[in-house]
Amino acid sequence: MLRIQNVSKTYPNGTQALKNVSFDVADGEFLVVIGLSGSGKSTLLRCINRLIEPTEGKIVWDDVDITTASPAELRQIRRKIGMVFQQFNLVKRSSVLTNVLSGRLGYANPWASLLGIWPQEDKQRAMQALERVGIAEKAHSRADALSGGQQQRVGIARALMQDPKLILADEPVASLDPVLSHSILQYLEQLNKDGITVICSLHFLDLVHRYATRVVALKDGVKVFEGTPNEIDRAKFKEIYGEEAQEVRAASL
Amino acid sequence: MSKQVSTAIISALVPGLGQFLLGERYRGSGILIGFLLILATTLWYGQPLWYLSPLSIWLWNVWDAFHLALGRRHSVLLPLAFGLAAAYGIGWQVVEIDFSRANMERAIAILRPMTRPDFIQPRRELNQMWVPVEVPCSSQPPAARRDEGGRAAFVMPDCGRVSETLIVSVSGLWPNTATDIYWQTPIGNSLMLGEGEITMLTLPTDENGALTTTIRVPTTALVAAPDPTLPQFHRVYFEQSRPIGGYELSFIGSEVLKGALATVSMALMATGLAVLFAVPLSFLAARNLMSGNPLTYAIYLIVRTLLNILRSIESLIIAIVFVVIVGLGPFAGMLALALHSVAALGKLYSEVIEGIDPGPIEAIRATGANWLQVVRYAVIPQIIPPFTAFTIYRWDINVRSATVIGLVGGGGIGFLLIELIRVNNMRGVSAVFIAIAAIVIVLDYFSAKLRERLV
Repeated sequence: MLRIQNVSKTYPNGTQALKNVSFDVADGEFLVVIGLSGSGKSTLLRCINRLIEPTEGKIVWDDVDITTASPAELRQIRRKIGMVFQQFNLVKRSSVLTNVLSGRLGYANPWASLLGIWPQEDKQRAMQALERVGIAEKAHSRADALSGGQQQRVGIARALMQDPKLILADEPVASLDPVLSHSILQYLEQLNKDGITVICSLHFLDLVHRYATRVVALKDGVKVFEGTPNEIDRAKFKEIYGEEAQEVRAASL
Repeated sequence: MSKQVSTAIISALVPGLGQFLLGERYRGSGILIGFLLILATTLWYGQPLWYLSPLSIWLWNVWDAFHLALGRRHSVLLPLAFGLAAAYGIGWQVVEIDFSRANMERAIAILRPMTRPDFIQPRRELNQMWVPVEVPCSSQPPAARRDEGGRAAFVMPDCGRVSETLIVSVSGLWPNTATDIYWQTPIGNSLMLGEGEITMLTLPTDENGALTTTIRVPTTALVAAPDPTLPQFHRVYFEQSRPIGGYELSFIGSEVLKGALATVSMALMATGLAVLFAVPLSFLAARNLMSGNPLTYAIYLIVRTLLNILRSIESLIIAIVFVVIVGLGPFAGMLALALHSVAALGKLYSEVIEGIDPGPIEAIRATGANWLQVVRYAVIPQIIPPFTAFTIYRWDINVRSATVIGLVGGGGIGFLLIELIRVNNMRGVSAVFIAIAAIVIVLDYFSAKLRERLV
C-alpha cells in the first residue's frame, strides 16, 4: 500500500508543480495518472522515489516513510521501485546488456560493480529479462542502435532487474510511434498481473480505458479526479484537459 | 530653412550628427566613427588618391542626411564599399606587395637541391689511412711514417711549421680511386687542404694504389693549441670510399628520424601531462556542475577565465618562456605544448560535461545506485568517448605544433630544420619537409579514423 499524503512541490524558481495531492495506491493496482503536459505528473512520479524532493507532505509505502528515509534507506527503497522513462534514459553508448545490468546496481557489490564485474547470476537474470521483453538477441548491441520501441523494452528489462514491487512509468509510450504503444503497455500489464503495482502516466484516453484499474487526474498540480476509467466521460475529460481539448485515439492493434 | 537642408548642413559639419539627431543613433555614430577611422588612416599612411575615400563617405553622408530628413532610408552598402576600397588600398601599401621582387635564380638555387632530399645514400665502404706528423718541430722529431694492414704512408720531412710545404705519400690503397686528403689537429678538428683551405684536396691513386703530392701545413693548424711552440702530433688522413651496392640511412636521414621521434613523443608526453590536469579542471569549469552556489560559481568563473587567457597565448610564445626557464630542447617544447593543451582540453572537456544527458543519471539513481555507481554507469560512459576523441585530436594538433616549436629552441624536428636552414643544407631541409608531411598525414588519417569510431 502506497499512501501519498498532502504532497506539495515548489521548485526553487517558484513554480508550484504539486499542490496538496493525496491518494492511496493498493498493491496490485494499475494506476494511471493523466493530465496535460506540465500538470505535475512527472513531478508526482519522481516524488515517490525522491528523484525530486517533495516540499511538503508524506509518502508512506508499506508503513515506511519514504520522505524521511536516510540516503542509505532511500537506496534500499529505490531498488524495489523500478522506473521507466519517456525518453528511455538508457546510456546510449553502452551495450544493451550493461544497461540492463545497471538495474541491479542497488543489489550489487559496490566495488565489483565499479569495476564492471557482475556475478554470473546477474548476467543470467539480465538475459532472462531481455528474453522476457523479446530482444535477447540485441544484448550486445549498443543501446542507441536499437529502435525506440526496442529501447523502451530495454528500459523495462532494466526495471525488471530490480525485482520491483512497484513500477513507475513516466509517459512510457509518449516518445514512441503510437502503433507501438500497446506492445509496450502489454509488457507492463503482464508485470502488473504478476503482482507488481504499476503507476503510469499516459496521454491517450483509450489507452487509459484499456489498461488502467484506477485513474488519478492532475490539473495545474491539483488532483481533480480519482476513480475508475469508466467514470471519465466527455464532461470529465473537458474538465481535466480544458474546453479546447479534443480526444485523440491511439492506433489500435 | 527646411528640415532636410538643416540636417544636411549639420551632417556636413559633423558627419553622422544629422542622422543622430533624427533618432538614427547607430547610423549616426557608425558614420562618424567610420569616417574618422578612414580619415585618420589616410592622413597617416595615405597617398593623395586615397583621400577620395573619406571624401566620398563625407559626400554620401550629407546626401544621406538630406534624404533621411525626407524619410527615405538608403542602404549603407555604398559608404562601406568606399571604406573597404581605402582599407584594401592602404593594406596593399602596408604589406609592401611587390611581385617584381621575386628572385627566380635564388629560388631555383634553393629548390634544385630540394628535389634530392638527403635521406638515404648508397652504401659505401671506407678505406682510411693516416700518418702522424709533428708540428712544430722538436729537436729530434720521430719518423713521420706508418704501416697498417698492407698500407704505408709517410711525410717528408718528418715535421713542419705552419704554412710549410710537405711531401706526403701513401701506398697500398685501392687503385685508380679518388682519395680525399685532409689534416687533423690533435684535438680532432678536420682541416681541408685544397684551394685556400676551404675545399677538399682530392686526388686519384695510380694503378698500384699509390699517391704522392705536396701539401701545406694549414694556417689554422695551431689555432686551438694551448701553446703554439710546443711540438704536438697532427695527422694527415687519406680517405677513399666506394659504393658496395644497396642504400643506407644518411647521417641527416638518421637525424631526421630522431627528430621525428622526438616530435611525436614530445606531443605524446605533452598531451598526457595535459590530460592529467585538464580532467579535474574541466569539472571545475563545467557550468552545470558549478552553478549550484555562489562559491562554486566563483571558482567556475576563475577557472574559466584562466583557461581562456591561457588558451589565447600561442604555444610558440609559451615555448620561448620555457626555453629560458629549462633551457633549449624538447623538454621546453613539451612543457609549452602541455600548458597550452591544458587550457584547450579543459575547455573542450568542460563542454562535454555540460552537454551530458541527465536522463541516464536519473535512471541509474532510480535503481538505488550510490553516488559512485551513478558516476561509473551514467556519467563516465557518456564522457569517455568524447574525452578520448578530443584527446586524440589534441595530440594531432600537438604533433603539428611540435614540428614548429623547435624553431624557437623547443627541440624535435623543427630544431633540426632551423639548424639545416642556417647552414644552407637544402637537401636536409627537404628531407625534414618530407618527414613532417609524412608524420602529419599519417597521424591525421589515424586520428580521424580513431575518432570516427569513438563518436
